[in-house]
Amino acid sequence: MATLPQLIEEDTRRLDDALREFIGQTDATAALIIDKGGFLIAHQGDASQFDVTTIGALASGAFMANQTIAGLVNETNFNSVYQQGEKSSMLVVNIDEHCLLIVIFSASIGVGIMRYFASGTIRKIAAQMAVARNRNPGGGYDLSVLNIADSESLFRKKE
Amino acid sequence: MAIINQSTKELQVKIVYYGPAMGGKTTNLVQVHDHVQTQAGNKGKLVSLATSSDRTLFFDFLPIEAMTIKGFKTKFQLYTVPGQVIYNTTRQLVLRGVDGIVFVADSQYEKMPENVESFQNLVDNLASLKLNIADIPYILQYNKRDLPNAAPVEYMEYLLNNSEVQVPSFTATAHKCEGVFESLNMITRLLLQKFINQSTAPHA
Repeated sequence: MATLPQLIEEDTRRLDDALREFIGQTDATAALIIDKGGFLIAHQGDASQFDVTTIGALASGAFMANQTIAGLVNETNFNSVYQQGEKSSMLVVNIDEHCLLIVIFSASIGVGIMRYFASGTIRKIAAQMAVARNRNPGGGYDLSVLNIADSESLFRKKE
Repeated sequence: MAIINQSTKELQVKIVYYGPAMGGKTTNLVQVHDHVQTQAGNKGKLVSLATSSDRTLFFDFLPIEAMTIKGFKTKFQLYTVPGQVIYNTTRQLVLRGVDGIVFVADSQYEKMPENVESFQNLVDNLASLKLNIADIPYILQYNKRDLPNAAPVEYMEYLLNNSEVQVPSFTATAHKCEGVFESLNMITRLLLQKFINQSTAPHA
């Protein structure tokens, strides 16, 4: 089993920079990087109005489901899902084997500009994620001080 | 696979509730959502992608921030899978990135074949993701113990907990919130123990 992937300050800064640059280029409302397992890795833009954790989980599921459907119709070149709205639209683009880029943008903006600039952004993100994965593939996080026998530190039920 | 973000001081882990249809997976999440003690804002919304008759179609999803470990916020993402046999592709998708599994078995005698089939399906689906169940922390929950036709626990252990290394198992009546938190806390302990072992293991 592989060890835990870790992101350090430099990774987060570079990922945030890439997302900020993308938002500056496209005027997108928000941009998120998620893991294909549904985890939120980074986000920029005006994300406060959205439940980004849930969007990450659902977008990941939707992308993977659509990718599977594409495979069932013998389509191998599948790398994005576009949801066109009346107010807000969303584009989910494949970054690499592990990650996705989610872009939320006003429906008044065309998806073409999103796709155009996303291609450069995902290259930068993929490169940084590769750096993070390769930095210390055997590394882990020391949780040894945690007393896991202490059930009080875990989930508690309301009385 | 859990994600550790050293920059934002977050540890994110994914727990999947697996098991046969109508076994009580969604009920587990509903009870956790309704009864868990959290600080304000630490419990997300329970999202259910279900049919009009409340059968899980894609998954249920509940994000919870549980505890701080050495300054790291630990965020748990709880998922269920659809139990119906036809949704196997969906189950494979939800299992992606899984860190720990709660297998919710239905204690009714006539459900034993479905329990066994679902557990084998879990093993097969993990294998399709190049994962071995022996490497993933999991526990067994024998749900619906309040029903008159519940099979003896020993029989369920014989059917489902028969590998070389036995895993923790719990009896539960999920709709009364009995056994729900015990199961969740045990899988959480196993997960954290695994992370500790990984972090203290000698590296190549």
